Amino acid sequence: MRPGESAPHAVLACGEVRTCLLPAQQALDSRAAAQLLGLRADERVLLSERPNLYGRSPDILTGVDCPLPSANGSRVRAVGTVAARASLTEGRVLQSSAYFRVPAAGPDHRRPWGHYLVRPGVVEPFGTLPREAVAQGLLAGGRHGDLDVGLIAGGLLTRLLRHPLLDQRPPLKSRPTRLRWVALPADPGDGPSIERFTLAEDELRTVRLRVPEDTRSADVAGLCDDLALHDWLLTTVVRILDGIRLGSAPPPARPRPTAEDDRPPVVRALRPAVDHLLHLWMPRARVAEQLAPLWDVLEERPGFTRQWQTLVQRIRDQLTLHAIPSPHREVEPVP
Amino acid sequence: MTDAVFRETTAEPRTQAVPLSHLSLELGHFYMEDFEAGPEHLRHHFDRVRPWVEAARTVAADRAGGRRPRISTCFLIDDYFTRFSSPAELVPLLLAEADRAGLVVDYLARESACADAGKVPVAEAVAGRLVEEPPPGSYGIRPPATQTGWLANGERSPVARAPQAMKKATAWQPPKETAARRHSVFLDVELWSDTPGGHRTWSCPFLAAVWQLARLGLLRNQGEPVLVPHPHTASGFPEDWDELPPLIRLNPRADPFAAYRTCSVLPNRFLPVEHAVRVILDQTEVDPEALRQVTERSAREAVAVPDSVADRVSYVFYAGA
Repeated sequence: MRPGESAPHAVLACGEVRTCLLPAQQALDSRAAAQLLGLRADERVLLSERPNLYGRSPDILTGVDCPLPSANGSRVRAVGTVAARASLTEGRVLQSSAYFRVPAAGPDHRRPWGHYLVRPGVVEPFGTLPREAVAQGLLAGGRHGDLDVGLIAGGLLTRLLRHPLLDQRPPLKSRPTRLRWVALPADPGDGPSIERFTLAEDELRTVRLRVPEDTRSADVAGLCDDLALHDWLLTTVVRILDGIRLGSAPPPARPRPTAEDDRPPVVRALRPAVDHLLHLWMPRARVAEQLAPLWDVLEERPGFTRQWQTLVQRIRDQLTLHAIPSPHREVEPVP
Repeated sequence: MTDAVFRETTAEPRTQAVPLSHLSLELGHFYMEDFEAGPEHLRHHFDRVRPWVEAARTVAADRAGGRRPRISTCFLIDDYFTRFSSPAELVPLLLAEADRAGLVVDYLARESACADAGKVPVAEAVAGRLVEEPPPGSYGIRPPATQTGWLANGERSPVARAPQAMKKATAWQPPKETAARRHSVFLDVELWSDTPGGHRTWSCPFLAAVWQLARLGLLRNQGEPVLVPHPHTASGFPEDWDELPPLIRLNPRADPFAAYRTCSVLPNRFLPVEHAVRVILDQTEVDPEALRQVTERSAREAVAVPDSVADRVSYVFYAGA
């Protein structure tokens, strides 16, 4: 039991994950990953090699004292700290994740700052928390001046992207995604559940969860990091396939100077996906046991892994077809 | 992912625990000029300290709930800002004067160890753990008034701009202590200064805050304890301060160095420094696992320990003049 993880129980947890391709030509090895993620001199970066390469920074805190966003316009002031951490999967996908939890009620005055610092990642409301309104407000995004967890996740990501280890030459084009989540307590006796997973515009995804009361918010954040990672992979690979013209390429307008560029455009477009993305699919790799079943729901509908396998198969088929010299092809490669 | 068959040690956080006393009692904090003032100055100091040491022991015994309180004493020598003489000359003198007053110095520390403890840049690590107290209206951005190398207990007074021609100068606005009770006691602490050559000198209050965290058993480096007492086995003391271990246990039967609470008996000229220490401690996020270990251990012993780290620190200021 961590200090502050105990009573009063958190009745709401919230976070935002930013996911992007590491802007470096080569994936980082474990040592470089530890350097990138070493946000604090005195705390270790957690490094793991099974079932895939993964590094996670220590949590850092940001102090907040502001209203919580709410759907019904009530402005509940809250004070505390938001935790944020960064992670790197296979030296290739960078994520920053900020999260906090809120107890049902707090005193109606601000306490000395030392009180909040021994409860990392807890934001205490003044008075009683209008839970449902705040949960909706958090997912919808608040007004200017309301607690902005995305700002904290984004700030950490920006800080990491400026790291001198990164040459700013990503191997493929991709866009970062945002996944914002809230977790409310499940009914007593019920297991965790996903109430809604929404793909909104502007690369924003929102997830609304129910979790048993004793669930650690860091574990929920871990689950959402995993969801965000795989959603980003799908989004990125879908976009790669979306952006190319399948079928036989028209002959180049002018002779290309290097052998490298002699490859058909389809191959040129798909190759980076094979080099850098296809091996990253591994749902539930680091999700707390208690929360792992939540993946099953998404596998059922919309079927994350089903879609991924179809995409991977398409990419492989295309590359196989292009590996056959043209005169021997009975059919032209089409989807 | 607990109780799993497969484990990776690099993937799991691990934080070593340290043994803990009930109270860490500081008998003095001497600068080189204190030593320069001669043995009478030391004698005078220990005579003043003794009654308060007795009082602190009584309070600690009350808190220990009937059991023998574990109390360790310590003494801090400044070798960071100025250097004078040698350990071989000064330490025996110090111990003789303490003994004369009926006091035992269990542990002796060098102030430079609060900047770099052996190979660990401990001051820099603590500076990396500062989480500034957010003024009302902070919604996720870093406090805008952050001044590198300074830490305040509230919002600074806005910077006055030079008035433009035909315009009135902006009226002065007061600074504001965030935790003020009606009126502010605003404090802005200089944490370090850098020379043009890039050398950083940590300020006295900052090193004193590190010293308090060490005494509270809350410092870790990559999960390992920092400032571990070194037993004193040699017959004498070295000629050079750098050869003296950062923290030495002089009394082999001493209770553990780190403790649930600290008390420092100091002359009242330390009051502003220690106010600054409180401002720093109040905005330092200590290793959560180290904090949890202290909470768990004290609960098992049924010893009350304040939540907030700054509240675990206490002082007796005696009339210094």
